[in-house]
Amino acid sequence: MVTLKIDGIQVEVPKDYTILQAAEKAGVHIPVLCHDARLNPFGACRVCLIEAVGNPRLMTACTTPVAPDMDILTNTEKLQRIRKTVIELLLVNHPLECPVCDKGGECTLQDLTYEVGLTKVRFEATPADTPVDHTNPFIERDIDRCVLCGRCVRICDEVVNIQAISFINRGMETMIGTAFDQPWNCEFCGQCISVCPVGSLNNRVYLFKNRPWNLEKTDSICGLCGCGCYIELETEGNELYRMGEVPDKGANHGNLCAKGRFGFEFVNSVKRETSAKIKAAGEAADADFEQAVVTVAEKVKSIKAQHGADSVAVLVSPRLTNEEAFLANKLAKDVIGTAGMYAVEPHSSFPDATYADIETSDAVAVLNLDVTEANPILGLAVRAAARKNEAALYVFYPSETALKRLVTKQFTGNPDEVYASMTRLVEGQGEEASVLEVLKKAEKPVAVYNPYNQADLWFVSELKKQIPGLKVAAARAKANSQGVLDMGALDAAKLKEGIQNKTIKALICLGENPSVRTGWADLSLDSLELLAVTDPFMSETAKKATVYIPVATYAEKDGSFTNLEGRVQSVNKALCKGLKTDAEVIAALAEKLGKALPSCSCEIRELIRKEVSLYKDVDFDGGLVKYADAVTGEFAKPAKAAAGEGKYFLYPSSLRLHSGSYTRWSPDLAKVYGEAKLEISPADAEELGLEDGSSVSVSAAGITKTFKVHVEKHMTKGCVALPEDYADTAEIFGKGRYHKVSLGKKG
Amino acid sequence: MKNIFDTLLLTEIFQGLGITLKHLFKKKITYKYPYEDTPIFPRFRGVQYIKTHENGATKCVGCYLCQKVCPSECIHIVTDCGPNGERLIRKYEIDLSRCIYCGYCEEACPVDAVHMGRDYHTTDSTRDNYVINMKTLSENYKKELANAQAKGEQL
Ligand code: SF4
Ligand code: SF4
Ligand code: SF4
Ligand code: SF4
Ligand code: SF4
Ligand code: FES
Repeated sequence: MVTLKIDGIQVEVPKDYTILQAAEKAGVHIPVLCHDARLNPFGACRVCLIEAVGNPRLMTACTTPVAPDMDILTNTEKLQRIRKTVIELLLVNHPLECPVCDKGGECTLQDLTYEVGLTKVRFEATPADTPVDHTNPFIERDIDRCVLCGRCVRICDEVVNIQAISFINRGMETMIGTAFDQPWNCEFCGQCISVCPVGSLNNRVYLFKNRPWNLEKTDSICGLCGCGCYIELETEGNELYRMGEVPDKGANHGNLCAKGRFGFEFVNSVKRETSAKIKAAGEAADADFEQAVVTVAEKVKSIKAQHGADSVAVLVSPRLTNEEAFLANKLAKDVIGTAGMYAVEPHSSFPDATYADIETSDAVAVLNLDVTEANPILGLAVRAAARKNEAALYVFYPSETALKRLVTKQFTGNPDEVYASMTRLVEGQGEEASVLEVLKKAEKPVAVYNPYNQADLWFVSELKKQIPGLKVAAARAKANSQGVLDMGALDAAKLKEGIQNKTIKALICLGENPSVRTGWADLSLDSLELLAVTDPFMSETAKKATVYIPVATYAEKDGSFTNLEGRVQSVNKALCKGLKTDAEVIAALAEKLGKALPSCSCEIRELIRKEVSLYKDVDFDGGLVKYADAVTGEFAKPAKAAAGEGKYFLYPSSLRLHSGSYTRWSPDLAKVYGEAKLEISPADAEELGLEDGSSVSVSAAGITKTFKVHVEKHMTKGCVALPEDYADTAEIFGKGRYHKVSLGKKG
Repeated sequence: MKNIFDTLLLTEIFQGLGITLKHLFKKKITYKYPYEDTPIFPRFRGVQYIKTHENGATKCVGCYLCQKVCPSECIHIVTDCGPNGERLIRKYEIDLSRCIYCGYCEEACPVDAVHMGRDYHTTDSTRDNYVINMKTLSENYKKELANAQAKGEQL
């Protein structure tokens, strides 16, 4: 510890603190521009200059470490004068366009100009007028407003590790750009926008739509994937304008992915349904909510009377909040009288490693998962471990992934080879034996895996057995994938069986879209006498529904989600589109079936505390649930991964821009990635005479489908990949996740 | 006694009528609005107008500053991004039935667009007509300009 004085206030701080951190502790404000607590000190702007008594040189507070007995002055007349000149110099070429600049009102440069009381610039220079760059589909770049603080460059390097942008040119010509002025194609995470202190990088989804002082902010949790990012819903009236980051809250350190930052527009979508629909004689007609609920209740009653309670099933989506899932379970168990609700989520894996565990780990193995695409924030934690903590990083995946810049070693190859490689890892043979040694010797080893590959669980459980200290992270896909299981969801395999052998006659499907889920698309729902579906959109399943009820999205309800770390976080209602929440639908249905259930989230939360032992003492604002085991059950050593006869290996890929079917309703994401594309290696593409955008037919297991091609240089030769959760691809993946397929050029 | 006398003879009424009679022959100081306009003074603040560029495009850039500063919250703006990344004003409305003619909007405007005009004829039979949009505001500018030119003044 070091003791020093800041503006006369004595503080004691650890010796690796900077003067800025010490000042924060002393409660002294030092203006900053290029500093960001998430990034390494840089010292580009000189706004934070301070004076140390007895030292003639001025120092930057953000980069200078503290020393014992320093006597720091932060606001002397000399400093005020210098600070004013520093800002004045920044403004020399700065365009005077705050009224039309999206940053106006939340701009650090604007604030600093006011703070130092600058009203006139003494120098005469013509503000630059470079055309605005729109090559990035999500980010507007106006380099004239740039103050060259380097925050975007640093976050893209230090945190995201993509290094898409950097300083180019020198001296007065310096600007932020891509290598050789190539189009700006990157992860589209928008992290750079979030740190830009001025209006140089702007969110194109929000561009010119509103001004920051009009927006009301509600803290919540992103509902678009299992990472569970802490966000701020920025609304005016009942429109959602932005989904912003909150750097000092949540486990994601203010980092978001492209879906979260740019994919929220579906909440405002005009394509959302507004009225319930009842199908009679094959024709769906609008109905009011009351009517729809009564119809469902009547049907449920009559089917139950005829075929017994077990002929009615409730299926919940992992997009439901814990409270809603709990209520749905009550509906299934107490009101209808079945064994419980179902969810299409794997039942054998549980959260174990937290982001913090991964970030501080010294050896990470990523097993058969493209983690930065599937779960971007989990991916950032892996990157942080490798980058900041210099952890050994091993990636087992058919293609090269974005982690390739950081890996110690990657094991690529076709799915069979990847499985063979992981088998050697577990059995300590061959080249992979050394990886096992590293993991065994590591202080805090972590393995990240894909719980949706049932076969992979064998590797995880074997590794866990061999390395007692190993923590594992299951990359759960959806916002509340874990929560619905905790609320008691049963394995949906039974449900599928029931529908197939026609013992289940009525299905109440809350938000789930089984028609596009892997392993479900081949299931015909026609034999059902009642299919009641709730969904914000007319989904593939909703189209088949006897009764359809439009419902609220996560931005329109209160509740909580449990993320892939097992962290329970509160979701808060920020707007209202006049639609019922799933909880209200369930409560209304229960009432018609003769039992009152609460629909208010706080009442339900009390019930959860009483009835779900895992959640008895958990803090619903960021507390971790304690699970007994990370994986449960006995697993068999997987044989060959892929079935079939074709020449090419097909496996499901993850998409950074989409998670499930929700985000496909977002116009901005759909513009960049709309329909499912087949990824293929350049070598195979050449062999087949294919190029980007040409059509190809894919045949597997008796199904032939046509897709557009995307030639991807990271793909391994002999392998092709398709995204999951699309109507077209779901059919192919209906029979399993790995296939051998044959390809044929079309047209 | 005097009271009864006054009451019976209606003296107070005659006194009152006398005053009325006196004023009937005095010089008149009221105006017969709406047949006659009241004169207005140089710094009068009437219905707003928004200046246009020479090509007819509005000078307003849709910065929301007037909306923010307006104490009676009567300005409503909606902006958006155009197809070429330009700033578009989808809606600009002033609700004159709420406006208190304080002139703050004029003060706040950074681009010399919105101004307080000299027109005060706002009577109407429906509330809807009190909400004026960008088109009306631009037309107001033309009218104000013509009026000013007729008088040899500058806007
Ligand atoms: S970056 Fe800041 S100072 Fe520059 S024009 Fe935009 S709001 Fe104004
Ligand atoms: S969007 Fe993300 S990946 Fe792309 S330049 Fe910005 S920080 Fe880097
Ligand atoms: S990583 Fe997941 S939770 Fe986080 S912003 Fe992206 S979609 Fe939302
Ligand atoms: S005159 Fe005052 S009340 Fe009327 S629009 Fe302007 S700011 Fe608002
Ligand atoms: S202040 Fe001026 S430029 Fe800004 S919105 Fe109002 S009228 Fe338009
Ligand atoms: S904040 Fe210290 S130099 Fe920029």
